[in-house]
Amino acid sequence: MTEKLAILWPEIFLFIATCLVMITGQWPSRAIRAFTPWICAVALFAAFGAAMSSPGSGSAHGGMFPEIVPYAKMLIAAVGMLILLLLSGTVDRELEAEVDAGKPFSSIRSNRGEFYAFFMFSLTGLMLTASADDLIWLFLALELTSLPTYIMVAISTERKKSLEAAVKYFFLGALGAAIFLYGFALIYGATGSTNLSEIATVFATQTANGGISSLGMIGLLIAIIGIAFKIAAVPMHFYTPDVYQGAASPVAAMLAFVPKTAGFLALMFILGTVGWNDGTAGGGHLPVAIEATLWIMAALTMTVGNILALLQTSVKRILAYSSIAHSGYMLVGLIAGPGIIGGPFYQNGLAAVLFYLLTYGIMTVGVFAVLASLEHRNGDEADDMDDIRGLCKSHPVLGWTLVICTLSMLGFPPLLGFLGKVGLFTSGIAAGQYALIVILGINSAIAACYYLRLVAAAYIDDKGKVSSPVYASPFATRKIAGVVSAFFVLFLLVFAQPMINGAYNASKYVPAVAGEVEHNDHTDRHTQSSPAKADEDVALTHKALID
Amino acid sequence: MMTASILSSFTSFVSPAMVSDASGDHGGNASAHLANMVEHVGIGPKWVLLIVFLPLLGFVLNAIYAATSNKTKLPAWTTIALLAASFIATLAMFLSYEGTPYTVHAFDWFNLHYGDKSFVANFSFYVDKLTILWMLFVTGLATLIALYASEYMSHDIGAGYCRFFAAFGLFVFSMSCLVMGDNMLMLYLGWEGVGLCSYLLIGYFYKKPSAVAAAKKAFIVNRIGDLGLALGIYLTFVHFGTIQYAELFANETLHNYINAAAVGDFSGIPGEAQWIALLLMIGAFGKSAQFPLYVWLPDAMEGPTPVSALIHAATMVTAGVYLIARFYPVFLISENALPIVAWIGTITAFLAATIGMAQFDIKRIMAYSTVSQLGYMFAALGMLSTTGAAFHVLTHAFFKALLFLACGAVMHGFAGQLDLRKLSGVAWMKGWGIVGVTMLIGCMNLAGLPYITSGFYSKDMILAEAFITPGYRLIGWILVITAIMTAYYTFRVFFRVFLGEQHAEPGEDFHGDDKSDFHPHAPGWAVNTVLITLATCSMLAISLAYIDKAEHHGWVGSMVAESTASFHSPYAGAVYAAHGGGELHAVAGPVGHAAPGTVLGMDAHKGMILVSGLGAIFGVFVAAYFHGPKGWQGLFVGGRTEAGKCRMDAVAKRMGPIPRMAENKWYVDEFYAMVLVTPLRVIAHVFHWIDKLLLDGLVNLVGFLPRVFAWIIRPSQSGVLQGYAVSMVGGLAILLFVVLVVVMRAGGVA
Repeated sequence: MTEKLAILWPEIFLFIATCLVMITGQWPSRAIRAFTPWICAVALFAAFGAAMSSPGSGSAHGGMFPEIVPYAKMLIAAVGMLILLLLSGTVDRELEAEVDAGKPFSSIRSNRGEFYAFFMFSLTGLMLTASADDLIWLFLALELTSLPTYIMVAISTERKKSLEAAVKYFFLGALGAAIFLYGFALIYGATGSTNLSEIATVFATQTANGGISSLGMIGLLIAIIGIAFKIAAVPMHFYTPDVYQGAASPVAAMLAFVPKTAGFLALMFILGTVGWNDGTAGGGHLPVAIEATLWIMAALTMTVGNILALLQTSVKRILAYSSIAHSGYMLVGLIAGPGIIGGPFYQNGLAAVLFYLLTYGIMTVGVFAVLASLEHRNGDEADDMDDIRGLCKSHPVLGWTLVICTLSMLGFPPLLGFLGKVGLFTSGIAAGQYALIVILGINSAIAACYYLRLVAAAYIDDKGKVSSPVYASPFATRKIAGVVSAFFVLFLLVFAQPMINGAYNASKYVPAVAGEVEHNDHTDRHTQSSPAKADEDVALTHKALID
Repeated sequence: MMTASILSSFTSFVSPAMVSDASGDHGGNASAHLANMVEHVGIGPKWVLLIVFLPLLGFVLNAIYAATSNKTKLPAWTTIALLAASFIATLAMFLSYEGTPYTVHAFDWFNLHYGDKSFVANFSFYVDKLTILWMLFVTGLATLIALYASEYMSHDIGAGYCRFFAAFGLFVFSMSCLVMGDNMLMLYLGWEGVGLCSYLLIGYFYKKPSAVAAAKKAFIVNRIGDLGLALGIYLTFVHFGTIQYAELFANETLHNYINAAAVGDFSGIPGEAQWIALLLMIGAFGKSAQFPLYVWLPDAMEGPTPVSALIHAATMVTAGVYLIARFYPVFLISENALPIVAWIGTITAFLAATIGMAQFDIKRIMAYSTVSQLGYMFAALGMLSTTGAAFHVLTHAFFKALLFLACGAVMHGFAGQLDLRKLSGVAWMKGWGIVGVTMLIGCMNLAGLPYITSGFYSKDMILAEAFITPGYRLIGWILVITAIMTAYYTFRVFFRVFLGEQHAEPGEDFHGDDKSDFHPHAPGWAVNTVLITLATCSMLAISLAYIDKAEHHGWVGSMVAESTASFHSPYAGAVYAAHGGGELHAVAGPVGHAAPGTVLGMDAHKGMILVSGLGAIFGVFVAAYFHGPKGWQGLFVGGRTEAGKCRMDAVAKRMGPIPRMAENKWYVDEFYAMVLVTPLRVIAHVFHWIDKLLLDGLVNLVGFLPRVFAWIIRPSQSGVLQGYAVSMVGGLAILLFVVLVVVMRAGGVA
């Protein structure tokens, strides 16, 4: 139990902060209310520090991904801080204005407490996902990540559109969750265990004896497709543009990063149970059916995302479709897998995905920060292409942030996004996925059409006559988030080596070893690594919770 | 054919050297010295980084000043202080150097390892004596010229002042990266950095179309050279597997090649390896303004004069010399590279001198003189005299900076007047005495008056080398003639502008109504201080020729000997023997190596002192006769009575179109325009229309198709919740069906 605790300190810090902000957010004193985000920031710093000294998760994963925890949680805490900068002023703006004007504070109407608490809940869930070693834990963590975001979408603006988006998101999210939970159930049925490393051992044994059972395979496929909802991949992507557009920009930025990271971590763990060593001796392949599923998903996801983005005039919808496309890119890394054990970074698809999550988080926060920093007279956020026209002249800092981050999303060398994409390309080539790499290349070219449209609008176009001009919003921290992101995008190319090393270490994957015979299942479990027992305890606790 | 004969001379020179070397103390291994040098590369102290990063700090601070609209002289003082600190650090580096090269690591830049190979190019610096030699005059001159510029640029205080000093700091940073980098990528970074700064500073007066055109020309012509450099670096990596100096010069393959080349056997050296030197050479030709890429440098005089002095005379243009000196081992293994370098240098020296003789703009005369002197340096490099090249780089840096700054003072004082026909007797005007005297010292150095100038010693070393190294006698005579021409055009400026009756017409920057109302504006203390310092340095540099004379042929020789530019061992015997050194002479005797080392039947050095010394004096008298004023000021042979009238006018009339052609730079620019620029423009127009009609059409079609597709699938994003849910479940079903039924059936997996 103490071993478990050692890796859970970041979550514990976040949870404590969650409880605190629920109280301080409703406090009648203005100073204490204003202090709420600071509590979140302190907790994120503490979580970052705890993650840095976290011992990895050797025990928790039974050795499948022994090094993933520190990197994943540091990534989450770091990008979480950027998003936190962005969130300021999203809720309670009118209310605070009224309080300034002399009206009494009404805690009923205030959303500040919930908003920050849900944000922290979501990050807690995300970190728990990284620590997950059990299907049930994984499911709970994924839902803890998603559920708060439904509400955050709903309360992020005063408009009806937000409510509509939230309702859609909630129902479709529930459907997605139902699908992957069904998949998890089938996996349990096929293997008799919810512990990931035990499942891996059973699958390895089955593979050695003629292939994974049909029940298990269908379970895996359904689980994968269900989790595709979290990463907004085809065919679960439909909600994305509507929800992004309905949510306030800061929340949309969060939606682009948080569920996607959760989804990719979960997919890594699920895929880890079957491994990338099917077929030839050299390894590097998932089982045929799973690879085919992911292949189709990846190809369709990037293509649909990029093509639909072409027609949009709403920047947020463009970013939503681009978020879909980026998921498609990252799926390539998952298909490529970890490559040869101990191989270099550029052959390692998982390391590429983990690094890409960081780069994507930074650049997407940068772009959304620009949108969040602009508003119309009536308080509506900037969203239309017209709103960013001539931005480099009217608001140089925001304009250049937009240009830099957008070029990075396009993968323009030598920016950060380029560095991220290189890993995906090279790992795909190393894994022999040439067709997919060609599709990835073509999609990068298509993506250039709409990214460059954004760049051109900000940099080349003139302001022209606009019916409703945009103004800089009064929240400096949003601008700071954008500038910090742009700074990272520009300069991490030179100093990215530590992060690449981190991602590389985190991607360390130890495939399960096949047990002796299938009917010896029970003894098998006990002869496994010793921490399995401790895991069982936790798993049982979770089962009890569910019941 | 030409190169072949030179080549044979190179090898014939080398072979007896190998024989004679048996009696030397270097053994038979030609690369032993080099191997010994780079074997013990140590780790240097971290404070060496200050040399590089203090100028960068200057750039950052000036950028901040610009952002805060500073309107004081603060940018200048900041830059001067930081550059001076950088110079002091360089001095410390020089004094603390203990004889073994070392590297200093700033941070990891590219550090890629794959399999058993690697690509490493860190932000690190390599220090040996060649580095120190270059950095001493780069940082020293930069400090002095920044001080000069603080006064010279003062009419632009404000945004322009900040911009100037920001680019100035960035230049010194880039130049330091170029000289100190420990790998070829750092060199390239610096190379492009100085190119950028050169562009920014030439185009400093960006509202002036000619300045913008000159900046573009400099940048574009340099691109041609840079392409060569980039390909050379690439080929180095491909062939030797590393671009780090320490590893490259310790590379066993390279050493085998050098040993083979030392006995004249190039057959075992692959063409790929030989091409490296040729490609690097193209880079050097671009940056150091050698024929045929020299055309940008004279136009670069559109920049402010301090820039011309620092970048386009003293430091940046010597980067090509540095490149070749640094990669001398790589040049030694190429059959053709060094002879080409020697001949190109000679042609450039001669051609530029002929143009320089006919110009009327004093800054342009100095520019062509720079091109010409760089030609000398390249000729020296090609003739196996890295010492001569480096020595001339050093002396030239001082006296040419001095000449430019003196001309700049004139230009500044006379409202932009640079035409030597419109100025006369400046040295006698009130407040201009220091400029006159220092200008005289600079001119004497450039002309190479014997014994009393440092320019004489360095030029003499190169000229003598031409007669020592077999097969280069023709080059030697061409360079002697060029030296006479140099003395002529240098003193032409001095006699006309500084001596004679006082007369001055203001230049185009004069905005008064009445030109007779013009009063020149004498230089202030900053300018005078810098001029005096540089003149002193030029004179003090004479002593360098006598330090370590016996062993290394002067102080610079001792610096070069302990660097990769040294080709010490295999050739040492022959080189020193031919130089007439006492006991070493005996070494050369037996192999019959005395013959090449003579001029007019005398020992090369003694003969050259006579020939070049008398030649220089002759050139001065020619200048005096044609351009000098009457009386003692014209050395009693001059006949000029008025500012604009001299004996040359009549001679020029009789020479027909030649002076005009020379004044128009032999129409080289026009030739380039006709042969290169115009055809490229035509092609560009053709491609423009192809692009517009054909490719745009295709692209639009390609861009159109995804849109059509998008338009078709767009209804799937209806926004209706139930529709989405159905699509999700339907998608799940279809995907499962496809995978389970189609893929798995086809794959035969149950």
